Amino acid sequence: MDRALKRRLEARFGERLLGPIRQRHDETEIRVAPGDVPEVMRALHDEPEFRFEALMDLCGVDTGSVMQTVYHLWSETTPDWLRVVADGLSRDDPRVPSVTFLWKGAEWQEREAYDMFGIAFEGNRDLRRIYMPADYTSFPLRKDFFLPDDAARSPGGGVRHLEQAHAPSNATPGAQVRKAPSS
Amino acid sequence: MSADLTTARHASSDDPRVMLEEEVGVFAPIPPYPPRTEREAEFYSLGDGEMFINMGPQHPSTHGVLRVVLKIEGERVVDLDPVLGYLHRGVEKLCENADYHHTIAYTDPLEYVSALFNEWAPVMAFEKLMDVEVPRRAEYIRVLSGELNRVASHALFMGWMALDLGGLTPILWSFIERDEIVDMLASLTGQRMLFNYFRIGGVNGDLNHEFMSRLGAWMSKATSQIEANQALLNENEIFVRRMRGLGTLDREAAFRLCMTGPNIRASGVPLDMRRAHPYSVYPDLEFDIPTRQEGDCLARYLVRLDEVKQSLRIIDQCLHDMPDGPIMAKLPRLMRPRPGRAYAAVEGPRGQYATYAISDGTDQPFRMRIHDPSFVHLQSVGLLTPGNLVADTMAIMASLDPIMGGVDK
Amino acid sequence: MALTPDRPHGGAAAESGSQGSTAIEPAAGHDVVVPIVVPNTMWESVDPLAYLGGRADENTHLRQLESSDLLRKDDARWGALDVIPTKADYVLDLIRANSLWPLLSGLACCAIEMMSAATSKNDMDRWGMFPFRASPRQADVLIVAGTLTTKMAGPLIRLWEQMPEPKWCVAMGDCTCSGGRYKRSYSTIQGIDRVMPVDVYVPGCPPRPEGLIYGMMKLQQLVLERRGHWPERAVGPTVPDGI
Repeated sequence: MDRALKRRLEARFGERLLGPIRQRHDETEIRVAPGDVPEVMRALHDEPEFRFEALMDLCGVDTGSVMQTVYHLWSETTPDWLRVVADGLSRDDPRVPSVTFLWKGAEWQEREAYDMFGIAFEGNRDLRRIYMPADYTSFPLRKDFFLPDDAARSPGGGVRHLEQAHAPSNATPGAQVRKAPSS
Repeated sequence: MSADLTTARHASSDDPRVMLEEEVGVFAPIPPYPPRTEREAEFYSLGDGEMFINMGPQHPSTHGVLRVVLKIEGERVVDLDPVLGYLHRGVEKLCENADYHHTIAYTDPLEYVSALFNEWAPVMAFEKLMDVEVPRRAEYIRVLSGELNRVASHALFMGWMALDLGGLTPILWSFIERDEIVDMLASLTGQRMLFNYFRIGGVNGDLNHEFMSRLGAWMSKATSQIEANQALLNENEIFVRRMRGLGTLDREAAFRLCMTGPNIRASGVPLDMRRAHPYSVYPDLEFDIPTRQEGDCLARYLVRLDEVKQSLRIIDQCLHDMPDGPIMAKLPRLMRPRPGRAYAAVEGPRGQYATYAISDGTDQPFRMRIHDPSFVHLQSVGLLTPGNLVADTMAIMASLDPIMGGVDK
Repeated sequence: MALTPDRPHGGAAAESGSQGSTAIEPAAGHDVVVPIVVPNTMWESVDPLAYLGGRADENTHLRQLESSDLLRKDDARWGALDVIPTKADYVLDLIRANSLWPLLSGLACCAIEMMSAATSKNDMDRWGMFPFRASPRQADVLIVAGTLTTKMAGPLIRLWEQMPEPKWCVAMGDCTCSGGRYKRSYSTIQGIDRVMPVDVYVPGCPPRPEGLIYGMMKLQQLVLERRGHWPERAVGPTVPDGI
């Protein structure tokens, strides 16, 4: 929990942040609008008081109402992880500027976020699918993509699959469920 | 149509799609649709004298199912495009639909060679979400088994490195070493490979007699055995000359490529998660971070060998300082952390292995993001290989040590 | 609930040679005559019809299979009119069984255990299986080791078709047998027998190297006895055109 980092971030980016800076354990989280991502990242990367040289992770998040892109950065100047959340991407057409101009290694991570969520990274020279086949039409990690099985209903929620003698909801129409003999 | 074919056959390779579809059919490495991105257009257009070679998903030295499309001119690689996804199992989606405890079973087989680290990062993230404190004995056991796994993983790396360059003996020696360590871990965890050992709040089983006796026997000869294995390769002129100066990365390039782990330490940056962002009991343990300055394949290879020695040091200290106590924290059977986000990173044998978990208050993680180092490092292959020979592709790829389970998740 | 089971015939072991029961009948006068059945008082299933209310099902899968016509009644043993076995065939089968060369098709974690089975400690070379060929044209056995995803299914089937006869397929690991721990995923094939004929299933996650060797020994048995999918295969070249 680096309070000094929080003060420096508020001093530098105060008006761009969407909401207060949250800190928990050893993580500091700031939220910015998607359009501010290139400038904020460049400032965090280049300026000597921050020097967040290492991009540790880049991922997408689908909260159900909005999409987000989350970046984790590391610097020698602070013991905390810095999490930058680009918040407020619409679920219909999520777009966020790419950070490949700073870190070439973000290219494939952005490709993965595109493949899994459909988030379009503007400025990424190679935004095509990376895991799924090229002609796949869905985005698997979105919340409106359901796994085709009962996995979505967890035993923790009280569903006891092994004790329900009914046809699975995704069974083919002609499937017969073995019933107990009525003797 | 025949006029097109004859003209296409004799024309220069302006539109390779026409020629190849006629001759090769469905097996052309060029995708059957027009290029959709800038990079695709740049890659899939052939210059004069260039051709494509497809190192298909089934290949002896792609460390798993990786497809690499090489654009070569003669024997020199001009450009390289890796195609992933042949092992994509949908782990992140499966974790969202499973309990917190089940995610360990899903993340285990990602980097299957170093399975304990795949369990460590999620478990640490969930402990952060639940504000759980892990007992000290459990932490020491985690470090001990983790470092053993690191030694096994680096032994395999050495074998594969030699195998990709054509040497068939070192892989056998590596597997001997790995088998010993893995049998040791099997007596501790019950499984040879996908250990399923770490739990949220501790580990699954305590140390037992068989494990300790095997460990003692192994430690007594570990150093000499490892040095014998390494002497086989380090003094082999062909090996050294093939790897020296190949695929050089300097400090700046390594940071821009988001490298972590031995790959960046070979470029002179002493970035190690165990020291940069300490976790578990690593602050109490004494070990060095080996680095090299050259940044070529040989440096990456030698850094990993030096790490094995440091791992032995850590194992020694763990055995000396092992405290007594419980091995699991007291936790409710059904885990419902309060809503929040947590990021936890461990230093795996390949680099920073991290988990970003978001909880929404229910018993299933809302989002379970797995950051895998092999995925990030594989990008560098496309940037390091151009200009080298085709056979050097394998050397560069092996020196980055990717595991396709982790790359494809 | 009483502790005595409901036996179809009353009394102790007076009637040896009881119909339908294959249990070992102990001698009369023993106290062990009546087996102790502990009733299930710990839990009840939500649906009273589940688990047949606690009885064992007589209509086992094997009986269903035998009464259907899926089983080949005639198992391509060397029947008199089909194939007249010659000593040369027998010797050829011996040769094939003792030099089954696998194709390097390790996809995921099971590949490491396959490599471990092939290296010094669990040496598969004792059975002649060490040379893992990189090219399918030179291989006999396709040991599918690791999860098969939908993207990889195409290349794997192409590999299978490129292998010339006689060829066998071994499904190693839970993911290839039935989908394994990735049963519910959107991008895996739940069991390679959905896409190719399998001769031997080696379960485990991952199976121990000794387990794989046991599976390969079973395969050798199959080769020698000409069981499995072997009799359905054509004699002669079967590689499709253009492959």
